Amino acid sequence: MWSDLTNLIYSAYEQFQFLPLFIEIALAFIFIAIFATIIAYSVILFKRWKGYVDDKRMAFIRPKIEEMITEQVLINEKLEQVPVDEIEFDPAALNDQIYRKGWVRQVIIEVLIQYRKNFRGDVGELLRKLYLDMNLTKDSYEKMKSVKWEKKIKAVVELTQMDVQISDVTILPLTNSTNPSLRAAARNAYIQLSKNEPFKFFDIATEPILPWDQLELFKIITTTKDIAIPNFSRWVSYSTNKSVVSFCLKLIAHYDQQSAIPAVMELLNNKDHYFRADAINCLGKLSAEVAEDRLIRIYNTQPLICQLEILKAIGRIASGRNLEFLKQEFMFSSNFDVRMNAARSLIKHNTPASRALIDEIKDTTYDENRLIISHCQNPLIK
Amino acid sequence: MTNILIIEDDDIMLKAIRNILSKAGYNVITAKDGKEAFEQIDNAEYDIVITDLMMPYANGLEVVSRLRGDSTKRHVSIIVVSSVGNEETITEAFRLGADDYLKKPIMAGELLIRIRKLLDNRSSHSKLVTKKK
Repeated sequence: MWSDLTNLIYSAYEQFQFLPLFIEIALAFIFIAIFATIIAYSVILFKRWKGYVDDKRMAFIRPKIEEMITEQVLINEKLEQVPVDEIEFDPAALNDQIYRKGWVRQVIIEVLIQYRKNFRGDVGELLRKLYLDMNLTKDSYEKMKSVKWEKKIKAVVELTQMDVQISDVTILPLTNSTNPSLRAAARNAYIQLSKNEPFKFFDIATEPILPWDQLELFKIITTTKDIAIPNFSRWVSYSTNKSVVSFCLKLIAHYDQQSAIPAVMELLNNKDHYFRADAINCLGKLSAEVAEDRLIRIYNTQPLICQLEILKAIGRIASGRNLEFLKQEFMFSSNFDVRMNAARSLIKHNTPASRALIDEIKDTTYDENRLIISHCQNPLIK
Repeated sequence: MTNILIIEDDDIMLKAIRNILSKAGYNVITAKDGKEAFEQIDNAEYDIVITDLMMPYANGLEVVSRLRGDSTKRHVSIIVVSSVGNEETITEAFRLGADDYLKKPIMAGELLIRIRKLLDNRSSHSKLVTKKK
């Protein structure tokens, strides 16, 4: 049979050699297409089969795990009688042979995390105890050692959700990983897990904190309980990572760290005008009256982005000493944004003097300026 | 026996609350979305409805307003359990007639105490009404 097949292939090859070139090319394409189709279908079928098997396994194991967690944690009789640390789980329930398989242990971790997202208090603590008693930390730590970044992220998230400490030696290098997803996950975890110095990774950060990561970090910092908030001016003064400084400026403004004003003012000398704009914005939000004269002095030498921030800052500081400056900018600037921000800052002062000035401007100025002031005075327009 | 309807689209949370309340001795009925919840509300009488806010078909706020808008169901106590924590949504839930609001992650003990308090309030209120009559 094999010799027949070999003969057939050989004769086909001999005939192929004498075919015209375009037929040879067409035949080659046909063979490639058939081969690629077979591979594609095989991959699809294999994936579907694997999905089907996984679904079946999950349908079998998930209810079993949920039942075990319900019995051991949710409706545990001892929960109301003894402290969580003293509760012992039923060894027979935990030592089931099936819970030794890797994929089952992974499902247990995932279910525990889902429960932890929904329950806190004693139930939340008992879920954590179950995670520790089943030695599932070992599985998470194993994933940390993986070369695949997805696995590392999974491990970091699991340990964070279960409030299990990760040593600085392991997590700190990950906060500076070149992979943005891993970096973000590690930074989020570090802030949540490190109680004493949650911002230590700022010291070693050479990779940028991307705008979306800043949002995530900000959410975590402002919602994590008992987090030690440091004086962020430390990084404003010494960090060479621009994104760290920019993020710290936002945090300084959020936590109203007045002691950071001198460090922020130092940034007004920085060559990067985006940096200066961030610093001016921060000074405005801190209502740093001490910086007002300096801002007015540098105004004319600044690019538009900084000029707009200075106008906003003067409105936020609202000392009333620069009403005439705002009026001049509003009346005589050729830039629409400058006029708009000057008008807003004038209105923000909301003092008898500023209101009189606005009325005076309205009486004397032309229609477009009147329209800008009306627009800015409308409380429904932000 | 006290009848409690739990409306929750997260399967795990639904089962967990059901188990906790069943163990505490309540008769628990569940609904996985707003549509199923409306059917359950129409079909039976409940003492307490525990609802999530974000669900398919109809959200928790719609469930609250439906219960408060129906004169035969108005007496039902409503507890909203949600991960939504913004002031606007919470005040809106109370404005529509929710009796209590619990933010996820919840404490199981707290949920049981709040249910017991609402039931106590209901019974003392109904005693007062019968006394007046």
